[in-house]
Amino acid sequence: MITLRDIHKQYPGANGGVHALRGVTVEVKRGEIFGVIGKSGAGKSTLIRCINMLERPTSGEVIVDGQNLTSFSEQQLREARKGIGMIFQHFNLLSSRTVFGNVAFPLELAGKSKAEIAAEVIPFLELVGLADKKDQYPSQLSGGQKQRVGIARALASRPKVLLCDEATSALDPKTTKSILELLKDINRRLGLTIVLITHEMHVIKEICDRVAVIEDGKIIEQGSVLEIFTKPQMTTTREFISSIVNHDLPDIFTGTVFSATSGPDSNLILRLSFIGHSAEEPIIASMIRRFNVDASILYGNIDHIQQTPFGTLIVELSGDQAGIQNALNYLRARELGIEVIGYVARNTRAVG
Amino acid sequence: MSPEILALLAESLLETIYMVAISALIATLLGIPLGVILITTGKGHILENIPLNRTLGSIVNACRSTPFIILMVAIIPFTRMIAGTSIGTNAAIVPLSIAAIPFVGRIVETALREVDYGLIEAAQAMGASPREIITKVLIPEAMPGVAAGLTITVINLIGHSAMAGAIGGGGLGDLAIRYGYQRFRADIMLATVLILIALVQIVQSCGDHIAKRLNKKQIGGSSHA
Repeated sequence: MITLRDIHKQYPGANGGVHALRGVTVEVKRGEIFGVIGKSGAGKSTLIRCINMLERPTSGEVIVDGQNLTSFSEQQLREARKGIGMIFQHFNLLSSRTVFGNVAFPLELAGKSKAEIAAEVIPFLELVGLADKKDQYPSQLSGGQKQRVGIARALASRPKVLLCDEATSALDPKTTKSILELLKDINRRLGLTIVLITHEMHVIKEICDRVAVIEDGKIIEQGSVLEIFTKPQMTTTREFISSIVNHDLPDIFTGTVFSATSGPDSNLILRLSFIGHSAEEPIIASMIRRFNVDASILYGNIDHIQQTPFGTLIVELSGDQAGIQNALNYLRARELGIEVIGYVARNTRAVG
Repeated sequence: MSPEILALLAESLLETIYMVAISALIATLLGIPLGVILITTGKGHILENIPLNRTLGSIVNACRSTPFIILMVAIIPFTRMIAGTSIGTNAAIVPLSIAAIPFVGRIVETALREVDYGLIEAAQAMGASPREIITKVLIPEAMPGVAAGLTITVINLIGHSAMAGAIGGGGLGDLAIRYGYQRFRADIMLATVLILIALVQIVQSCGDHIAKRLNKKQIGGSSHA
């Protein structure tokens, strides 16, 4: 649906200017919700503005729904933009127009008659749940309601793609959740392709199918949300994920000395992560039975990403060293993430 | 005060209103496009054109830095070309308009600058052309500021129109100079001053009222979802 090919964007200025994007290549599939996450200044805002050419890339190609926008004239671009909706962090509603007038705006641009506009605006206001507010002005609405008007306005021209520029960053958590649910609902009901940028990992986790991590103008990692959450490769990605999935060791390990090698009577501490079906199999129980080791669960957490269960366990294995090694090999052969944290001397801690 | 004097005051008041109204109208019709050009041709704006922007800016500054009484005298040949004469109420409209156009231009420019660039970006994202952005976004959003600015323009014009009286432009200023000053009629002087004060008060109140009506940004009773 959307292809960005080797996009560079350079802003002229002192000291060679700013190189905001350095060769970004992204492919967004039809009907998916694609997230771009990055810290401020990473280039995500420039990236999303390249999709509808509010920012013209210095080099590279932007192809949306089969149209190569980089080759378009201003006139052609204006027509193409009518098929790409956009919502903003600060809503950008016209303060001089009512809710109705704001949603009517893109229809006026499309040259529709008053009667057509009147007939088309109301269903979109109903879709976002604001039909009763149609005669109010934006200053009379809450942030969440303003964003709903923004969404209705973006959808009014019946676009195939919706771009969300930090659309929930100015909203409180509860309102954010309701806006994300609305976006997900629209995505399903209208088959709309959504690209969103954010600096908040929970937004990605909540609604995205795939995600790209951007840093310093480059995409450093991309894949399905589940993949990125369960097997993050880059430090920045891990940092984003740690705000949602705790990768730090729990407090009970404070002061514990870990050794990389096993001693005659040391216990092994492992972190296991389970994804999807492996989370449903009784792996720990069968390991205990087979290898005559004891497993104490020190920490456990289970979460869902896109309806897929995703869990983390920290376990301590005790028993004879051969048994522990066999158990470790057994676990390694299963479909789960495994990380050896280290060996600890037996009985140094009370095991719970 | 004799009926003759009252008739004279009424006639002068009508002349003043006529001069101010026509020159305000001309200044608005030409000043708003000027303000729009000044803002939209600026750096990074929708119709960026730096040479045009600089040239217009310089002309506007030159006009605005010339004291009105000097401008009025300096452009007498031009006034004669347009109005056919350099004396009288119709002739006074020419320098009044010339002085007010750049003033309105700057005021409109300032009002348009207050419009959040995010709105322009949103309109661009919806496929709006520069003309649509100007007529459907910039001007409607800036209307409260433009209305407040036009009020100031009208009040300035009332002041300038009194100065135009000094060179035979007619109106209350003319009356005050000829009767109040040259014939030592303090009562007429006082009457013209009072009428001018009342006129300015009325214009200001009307202007404030209109600006308030146009401003949709501060409507009380915000509700939360």
